[in-house]
Amino acid sequence: MKLSTRKLLDKSFTGYGIFAIILMACALLLIIVPIATKGIQAFIFRGTIEYRKLRLEKFEEGNLKKVNAELKGSQELRKPIYDMIDQFEKDIRELEYEERREYRKELREVKKSLKELFGPAPGDHQPVLWREQYGQTRWDRAKIKIDQVLFFEEWDYSNPDKMGVKVLVDRKSLFKGTSLEPLFAYVEKHAQSILQPKLVFYWRFLFDESFDAHFFGGIWPEVLGTLYLTLGAMFFAIPMGIIAAIYLTEYAGRGLFISLLRSCISTLAGVPSIVFGLFGLAFFINSVKVSESKSVLAGSLTLALLILPTVIRASEEAIRAVPKTYKEAALSLGAGKWHTVLTVILPAALPGILTGIVISMGRAAGETAPIIFTAAVSVGKPLHFWETLSQPTPALPWNIYNLCTEHEAVDEIRHVQYGMVLTLVALVLILNLAAIILRARISKKLKG
Amino acid sequence: MVESPIQSTEVDNAMNGTDREKSQETASVDKNHNKAPQVTGGKGNNGAQVQDDCHVTTKDFSIFYGDNEAVKKATLSIKARLVTAIIGPSGCGKSTFLRAINRMNDLIPGCSTSGNMIFDGLDIYSPQVDVVALRKRVGMVFQKPNPFPKSIFDNVSYGPRLHGMLKKSELEQIVEQSLVRAALWDEVKDRLHQNALGLSGGQQQRLCLARALAVNPEILLMDEPTSALDPRATAKIEDLISDLRGRYTIIIVTHNMQQAARVSDQTAFFYEGILIEMGDTKPLFTKPREKKTEEYITGRFG
Amino acid sequence: MELEQTMNSTADRQFNNLLLSKKALRFQRMSAFVGKTFLLAITSLSSVAVLFIFYFITKDALPFFFNEGLGEFFTSTNWYPSADEPNFGALSIFMGSGLVTLGAIVVAVPLGISAAVCMSDVLPFEVRQVVKPITEVLAAIPSVAYGFFALVVFAPALQNDGNFLLSLSAWIILVPVSFLAVVVLGDVVADRFEEKYYNYIRYGIFVSGGLISLFCLLKTHTFLNSLEITSGTNALNVSIILGIMALPTIISVSEDALQACGRELREGSYALGATRVETIFKTVIPASISGILAAIILGVMRAIGETMVVWMASGNAAQIPKPWYNYLDPVRTLTATIAGDMGEADHVTGSSRYHVLFAMALCLLVFSFCANLFSEWIVHRQQKKLGLAK
Repeated sequence: MKLSTRKLLDKSFTGYGIFAIILMACALLLIIVPIATKGIQAFIFRGTIEYRKLRLEKFEEGNLKKVNAELKGSQELRKPIYDMIDQFEKDIRELEYEERREYRKELREVKKSLKELFGPAPGDHQPVLWREQYGQTRWDRAKIKIDQVLFFEEWDYSNPDKMGVKVLVDRKSLFKGTSLEPLFAYVEKHAQSILQPKLVFYWRFLFDESFDAHFFGGIWPEVLGTLYLTLGAMFFAIPMGIIAAIYLTEYAGRGLFISLLRSCISTLAGVPSIVFGLFGLAFFINSVKVSESKSVLAGSLTLALLILPTVIRASEEAIRAVPKTYKEAALSLGAGKWHTVLTVILPAALPGILTGIVISMGRAAGETAPIIFTAAVSVGKPLHFWETLSQPTPALPWNIYNLCTEHEAVDEIRHVQYGMVLTLVALVLILNLAAIILRARISKKLKG
Repeated sequence: MVESPIQSTEVDNAMNGTDREKSQETASVDKNHNKAPQVTGGKGNNGAQVQDDCHVTTKDFSIFYGDNEAVKKATLSIKARLVTAIIGPSGCGKSTFLRAINRMNDLIPGCSTSGNMIFDGLDIYSPQVDVVALRKRVGMVFQKPNPFPKSIFDNVSYGPRLHGMLKKSELEQIVEQSLVRAALWDEVKDRLHQNALGLSGGQQQRLCLARALAVNPEILLMDEPTSALDPRATAKIEDLISDLRGRYTIIIVTHNMQQAARVSDQTAFFYEGILIEMGDTKPLFTKPREKKTEEYITGRFG
Repeated sequence: MELEQTMNSTADRQFNNLLLSKKALRFQRMSAFVGKTFLLAITSLSSVAVLFIFYFITKDALPFFFNEGLGEFFTSTNWYPSADEPNFGALSIFMGSGLVTLGAIVVAVPLGISAAVCMSDVLPFEVRQVVKPITEVLAAIPSVAYGFFALVVFAPALQNDGNFLLSLSAWIILVPVSFLAVVVLGDVVADRFEEKYYNYIRYGIFVSGGLISLFCLLKTHTFLNSLEITSGTNALNVSIILGIMALPTIISVSEDALQACGRELREGSYALGATRVETIFKTVIPASISGILAAIILGVMRAIGETMVVWMASGNAAQIPKPWYNYLDPVRTLTATIAGDMGEADHVTGSSRYHVLFAMALCLLVFSFCANLFSEWIVHRQQKKLGLAK
């Protein structure tokens, strides 16, 4: 090969490597950015008059007079809409049966979408579910609902070779020439002044319970459940992990038994997380019966097993990194071995051990598969501390899955899903960041 | 009293686990009975009563790393309250010998000994010997300064605390005393609670010395204590050694023959694991008896 | 001196004898033994956990094999566990796990290893300090967040603009590759002829090869654009996301391996006039191949054991794609089946439907155990080899 070709190959390979790294960075951005931007909308959003009404009626928050004044203005603007509908209903009574039935059907659709947008019409009976008692509380959702009032979807099958294509049809065209026709222009024009969106900073999203299957309220039960599970896992894993690491570094010889133990630990690290879940179900719940059925305790124990190898490895590495001279100095002063470990080696290894612990905390917080069968439920109240021994809990990772696949109205509560994901990712990343800072600070302190 | 070396290592390993509890226990035993229980017939002298006598004697003492004999049948005696220097080319076993005196070699897997090393009338390699008590009485300063990553105060008080002294006032006294003896007090008295790793190398080494002095040992082992230091810090340490002479038995391993000549009363010369010659420093440097010693001292090898 | 006296008095008080009484010795040995045994017990407990896992998974898996036998489970594709006469043919599910793992490896291995090489041999130190946290963050993001992204963001994108995305990535990958291939081919072929023909032959091959590859590219483009992507939740989606998830593992382990083989080796190669890429491919990678293999195995284990992403975004259809390599079809994997079916099966603890999930878990467990053993063996062998070389 010519030198120039070799150099070209060299350059292009370097380029490829850099491309791979850039691609990885892009992938990270692609994942983080939508989660962050949409997740933040769970906390900061434009709340409508319906939102303020809900806060006032259900939580007795907000300025009663002000909200009532706003409501009054809003209702005045709404009145023409319902008047138009009444007028139209009167009009169609005159029509032929066939035509009347057709209009009635379409009108029902209009009324339904209006109800979703503005809440129940005046004079309707009060529904049971909160989501039906109020109109759209969030302006971003309201905009979608406005579109649903104005348009409806239809599938276009005109090209037999291709799949059906979705097209939007203007609803106005259905009511051409009737008394209902001006309604659509009116809604389009006045929707914003009816709903009066205002910027809301809902920081209590984290600390409120959820209402009406996550349509309203926050994610406190999930956050608390995740905290319980994580702390519980650490409670079991930290002492065991550190003790095992001390034994393996300071006491264990090189026998067959010890190498067997080591391979057991590395096998444990490779076991798929879902298998941990099954094991937790079969062992902690069905065999040992730590609790009647799913409980935070069983979930914590399962998670503890999952992160144990990580804790052991990190602690082992940290202990091995302690200079041998520290140990010699302590021993030469007449310290016993155990005393040396406790007063000299462990303090010196602490930054490394802590880093490992914090990182595995992040892992425990984010794992889903092990808690599906052992601890997680979809709906629940925040638990008291003593209830963790016997009660299951909602948890962030499980409820993210649950809300975006099994919830009855997946699209309606996207903001809650994104908010949960953001909370979980932020929690894990903050833990990781804390690990890095901790490591830097303590090692700086050690250097004096 | 000669024990098989392997056995003694094993016993030591077994004992290490609960050294702390045990050392406390022994201390309390001592308080109750003035005469501590003795199993074998030593002379029963307290170290303090040994004047101008031999403090440590060895007889046919060998140290093995696996099959390799690092020190070969050394027989010598070290005088109490004097400074003894051990010199020799690198790899001659002088450090190994030094570390054997407070049984630091036990930490090295596969290390075993034969022959006798008598301290305070006892063979320190006998299985009943309490290594912790031994190390309390035989302190050590290492080649590289190795303060713990704790405050200066905690470094010095580590030993006394270990041996059951917990009263703050007592600790403060002993820390000051030790730092004064190590000529470090004036430099650090205002920052006793700062991290010891912030000190300079020479200060760190003196801190290590203070730390060793704080448990009030009878013997101080120094393993090339100045090899990692600059000349000025070295001079300070040498001055200290001269100050401490007469109070402690000091055994110093050094590469530097001038240093040995300056600070020591007695010198032992090791070559390839064999003790070639031992005697008063001056005659050894001026009129060595052995040809090897002369060759080493005059710089033909080493 | 008062101080001196205090010191001496404390010294006297503590002046203990070197010898221990028989009783003290026995006590010491006992307590050391007890302490050590305690430590050993804790350590064993954490290690024995893995044996417990094996035992309990096997215990609940065996009833399935006794009741239903092995044949159907491994060979049939009829997966109707809840029918009146249930069928437990898990072949398509095994196939699904295999497909997404293969896909993840195809995505992650070339990217991961070249990124690792780049980080260890090419990038300056400061840039590496920036790149390292990126991999750490990628590794830290919980799998359910990846699953959420795959389901809510990536799947709709794939469904709506899938053809565009596919052909775009085909262009990005294939254009440089075919260009390089043509250049190298021209150089290698032309080298065999005499000097005076060299340039003619080279440019001839360059032009003709370029035209051929351009034609192939256009064909690929039309082919990809004609594909119908019926659903965004399919094997391709999951493979890409799993690939991204496996990247950090592969990068960090293989980078360690690459760094471990030392500077001297590289200098030896550079001194003979090798370019960087030749050094990397001919000396560095062969020297660290065991570490890289171990990294790939760890990546495979990460991909095959992952639950949430596949459960949420693979479509969960227990079928073998037609043809089998069609990544645009939905698939179902072992982990997703366990996670998804246990909720319903749990109410009928003891039925075959319950035990079949344990049988699947056992297969996963055995696979990860073997993979772990294999990677340990590779690393061990390499260490031995290096030990002998010294």
